[in-house]
Amino acid sequence: MISDRVKSNLKRTFGESLLPKLGLVLLVVILVMAAFAPVLATHDPTRTGYFHENGGPYPPPGFDYTTTVAADGEIGEVQITSTSEHLLGTNTVGQDVYSRFLYGARVSLLVSLFGVTLASLIGVPFGLIAGYYGGRIDDGLMRLADVMLAFPALVLALALIGVFGSQPIRVPDPIVAAGLAPGMPPSIPIPGSVTIVVALVTWVWFARVARGEALSIRNEAYIKAAKSFGTADWRILLKHVLPNSLTPIIVLATIQMAIIILIEASLAYLGFSGTTLSWGYEIETGQDVLRTRPWVAMVPGIGIVLVVVSVNLLGDWFRDALDPNIEGSERGA
Amino acid sequence: MSMAKFLLRRTLQGVFVIWGVVTVLFGLRAVSPGDPATLMLGQGATQELIEQVREAEGLNEPIHVQYGDYLGDLIVGDLGYSWQSEREVELMVIERIPATIELAVAATVIALLIAVPLGVVSATRRGSPSDYSATLFSLLGISTPNFWLGLMLILLVGVWYGIPYPTITPGSSFPVGIGLIDLPTGRRGAGFGEAVMALLRDGSVDQLGLWVKHITLPAITLGTYFTALITRLTRSGMIDELGKPYVTATEAKGLPGVLVRYKHVLRNTMIPIVTVLGLQMGTLMGGAVITETVFNWPGIGLRLISALGVRDWPLMQGIILFIAIMFVVINIVVDALYTYLDPQVTIE
Repeated sequence: MISDRVKSNLKRTFGESLLPKLGLVLLVVILVMAAFAPVLATHDPTRTGYFHENGGPYPPPGFDYTTTVAADGEIGEVQITSTSEHLLGTNTVGQDVYSRFLYGARVSLLVSLFGVTLASLIGVPFGLIAGYYGGRIDDGLMRLADVMLAFPALVLALALIGVFGSQPIRVPDPIVAAGLAPGMPPSIPIPGSVTIVVALVTWVWFARVARGEALSIRNEAYIKAAKSFGTADWRILLKHVLPNSLTPIIVLATIQMAIIILIEASLAYLGFSGTTLSWGYEIETGQDVLRTRPWVAMVPGIGIVLVVVSVNLLGDWFRDALDPNIEGSERGA
Repeated sequence: MSMAKFLLRRTLQGVFVIWGVVTVLFGLRAVSPGDPATLMLGQGATQELIEQVREAEGLNEPIHVQYGDYLGDLIVGDLGYSWQSEREVELMVIERIPATIELAVAATVIALLIAVPLGVVSATRRGSPSDYSATLFSLLGISTPNFWLGLMLILLVGVWYGIPYPTITPGSSFPVGIGLIDLPTGRRGAGFGEAVMALLRDGSVDQLGLWVKHITLPAITLGTYFTALITRLTRSGMIDELGKPYVTATEAKGLPGVLVRYKHVLRNTMIPIVTVLGLQMGTLMGGAVITETVFNWPGIGLRLISALGVRDWPLMQGIILFIAIMFVVINIVVDALYTYLDPQVTIE
């Protein structure tokens, strides 16, 4: 499937620069954070009410603040200091920011991984068939692609959310079910409709790339040979065209993954999230208290930047090693 | 093929795309949950009243008749009435267009002014500290969600001028900073047009100054992604071009390197950048929706979000349709520009 030339290119470019290594390390750290969130978290991320005894949320180190309190009929200023109990402080409703940071990584990664998979499952077969057969099917796909591209991805996603709603699907958390993390939420909310929506706004890129590949492969000698033996078309598509188109599709997938993470965060920020555990949602709640509790908006944003940077670094590595010119790879949310 | 023929063909294709967009929007509205008449009248409406509205709005007709009516109305430029405010959608869109265009243009100008020189320096001094910083900047730029960037800028500007963060309010027109360089974190001062009129009429720069102050933070927020993207494109494009034989040949002939770099190499690099800019218009508009929300900027994006919140479909459709038309028109212009920038490209 992946040729030796590609493998050696990947190795060479990985050794040449620091950036792919950095991307890989970052992504592994984030994957571990997300996978073992219930074990690594110090508090139930959904539990509210962790406030300082003087009323305000706990700040992280360096963000101590003063607040006015009335005690014994007098009004006075009270210093609110950070605590080791809450590493990154607590938010406006008194939830532990560090634990929510870990769980937010889950939402971001689950939506983007499922989203990319779904988008390629829709786009790749469509594109391969269109490119392989050409003619009317191909014309139809290209016109449909033109229409899809006239919608900004985020705007189309917003319109689709209006139709699908944004109810999350709850699945049992395997780590909690195994009894490894007592006291943590027993189920994970997966924003199912958000995942469908991001796939519906990105599949067209997979279709376009797959179509281009199929178009250039269909006239190769080995395809003609297979045809002359009477091999069925679906078999040729599956055994020859698909494996030979895979490299650019993988590059595209990394780049679209970064874009999907940004779209998910934007939807959540605008209030169309499937779950309050999303980093984008957390930033939205932090906006109202930006002036007094800046860490609430700061922390989840750093999470988004780190995930997207790591995915982009890997995407750049793949692209440098595999194919410098892939359509749709310079496109954002 | 002549230019006129080319433009005609592209326009026809554009009309087809717009028809597709209209059809998708109609389909979405048709399958979306909630009865339009109830949404229009609010929860307390009587069954009788709802039935009257359904009849009057043609909601009892079969779906293909409704589609036909909708297309017919659009062709004569009738986008209908907002369900929420009962105002004409055309007016509600048009009054918000200048703010969004100002923001988009300002962001693009900032992006081009910073990105092209940065990309050129980065490409001509590969491996230097300035190349590394440009690469790092562009990596962060394409990886940062712009709504978060906007909030962090609001914080940063306050800290920069020694203002303790408790005095900053996002989305308000209350300025951050002091004296000449105070930057409001929200709303729009005078429109650019009004500001220029004031300058011409009274020779007063106050309005223009106010406009600049208000647009600075939103434009940087929206423009950062594009600055990063264009820096990357300029850098990789320049590196490709600099390796071509004609560069060595012209330099060997004794043409100054600076002249070669800026006159020939940069020009050839700009061709793909212009194309990408056209295709990125959608991203720019998506970014504008978010940026306008952060900064309370009164453009079509802010209006789209409020329309979405109350499922005001006619208004949503009007705004999205406008964005799609803009995308199509700009890409036709880009294609025409392409032939101008690169004489080797023949129109087919």
